[in-house]
Amino acid sequence: MIAFVATLLMGIAWWEFGPRTPDSWTEAELIEIRSLSLRRLPELPADPSNGVADDPRAASLGHKLFFDTRLSANGAVSCATCHKPEQRFTDGLAKGRGIALSQRNTRSIVGTAYSPWQYWDGRKDSQWSQALSPLEDPAEHGSNRLELARLLATDVSLKTEYEAIFGPLPNFTDTTRFPDRASPIGSEELGTAWESMIDSDRGVVNTAFANLGKAIAAYERMLQPGPTRFDNYVAEIEQGLDSSSLSDEEIIGLQLFVSDARCTECHNGPLFTNNEFHNTGVLSFPGDHPDRGRIDGLKQLLADPFNCKGEYSNDPLHQCDELTYVRTGIELIGATRTPSLRNLGGTAPYSHKGQHATLAEVIDLYNRAPLAMIGHNEVEEKLGLSRRERKQLEAFLIALDAPIAADPKWLKAPE
Amino acid sequence: MRSSTFILLLVLITASAIAPAEENSSERWQTRSGYYWVSFTSDLEPLEINRIHRWVFHIEDESGAAIDNAEISLLGGMPEHNHGLPTIPHMTESLGNGDYSVEGMRFHMNGYWELTVTVDVSDRRDIVVIPLTIS
Repeated sequence: MIAFVATLLMGIAWWEFGPRTPDSWTEAELIEIRSLSLRRLPELPADPSNGVADDPRAASLGHKLFFDTRLSANGAVSCATCHKPEQRFTDGLAKGRGIALSQRNTRSIVGTAYSPWQYWDGRKDSQWSQALSPLEDPAEHGSNRLELARLLATDVSLKTEYEAIFGPLPNFTDTTRFPDRASPIGSEELGTAWESMIDSDRGVVNTAFANLGKAIAAYERMLQPGPTRFDNYVAEIEQGLDSSSLSDEEIIGLQLFVSDARCTECHNGPLFTNNEFHNTGVLSFPGDHPDRGRIDGLKQLLADPFNCKGEYSNDPLHQCDELTYVRTGIELIGATRTPSLRNLGGTAPYSHKGQHATLAEVIDLYNRAPLAMIGHNEVEEKLGLSRRERKQLEAFLIALDAPIAADPKWLKAPE
Repeated sequence: MRSSTFILLLVLITASAIAPAEENSSERWQTRSGYYWVSFTSDLEPLEINRIHRWVFHIEDESGAAIDNAEISLLGGMPEHNHGLPTIPHMTESLGNGDYSVEGMRFHMNGYWELTVTVDVSDRRDIVVIPLTIS
């Protein structure tokens, strides 16, 4: 009996702690692995809705605006308050905190120029349109579009740069036409002031506001993920070299990633995301109602005057394929957008409300595949990974970190 | 039940009853009742995930003659994953010579897909399931 127990314990110990060598790759696995490499990342897609997306002058102005705390009601919040360059443009918090606590976890903006949708619920369809939303959110910047437009028109430096790109700004000093503060979003006071303005003046303000977002987007397009140890590993195996970039444990984690753990069903392509919406049974944030996710985000997107088909889009044809052929349906209830896994290790907590403090907790979620609190969990089968396999998968995910591929000047506040 | 949901279910049930044609056995597929032949080309070649693009379907009758007055609709999904396409593609134009533009195609996952194509010509509707593996 003792011998039996001892043998059993030794077997368990070997399984958990013994050396293990990765299996050789199958052809199907190699195809999948290559498809994840940063070298397969296509050229940055054009954004026809933003006429200055690739204008370096707009990127320079956007850089200044991104770090400018005057774009907030209390003069203390900028985009960089939550999108901190030193934290891969996230904030390390469960939910973002600007003027107050926001509703969701701050996503990184690195590589988002590749995504047809922005935010966890995809309620925005461009970087420039996304950039506008926090500015008027009472919990984030808490500002309003009229004050922001006036800032552009009164700050000499901003005005000069803005007008060189977008043309002359109107004079917002006529208080009979332009109240101190106004917006269709936010408090009743802001709304009443907005309604008091004539249509053409509202359009003038909206145009300046949209252009502000377009400049910020031109800056954000500069922020792309850099090559990781995983990408080096793919290059090594493609050249038939002995791999030294990943450890054996990480390679086994990669094997799990592309096979038994089924991660590439959603975390696919060079950015490790399909940028689509999935309900994976993430529990609600304590005290919050279950998040309806994409089903509500889509409604907001379709009603948004700053979407790709709106009058502030620069796409003359308003082709907007993604918006035109957008999917609807009950499977979008509780669905949130697949996050990229690049730079994952430094961007905890995870999930749309930061429900998971660690990667181990996220992996455990898929291992358990719980019933969704709202809608239907697409992950119907538990992964059934052992503790060791979960550790190996986590080790691989952490290996997806690398410095951002951008000129260092973009990664700090402008001089 | 909303009518769109009912129609979707009806199509899915119908589609599930049809065994897909053998994959890659041919570049064209015959519809279930044999009325039409369906083939397609893609603006994105080879096919890859996460990129929206256009397909051109070509429709012929049983004798191989091009049909120009068809209406095409399409539903796609992954049977193994119980989900559909991430977009709702639809026919945008009849190009002549039996060709039809279908825009909004996008796949968001590698693996085995089935595309259920319905061809309507006057009162003759027929359906075919096209198997497709994206890798």
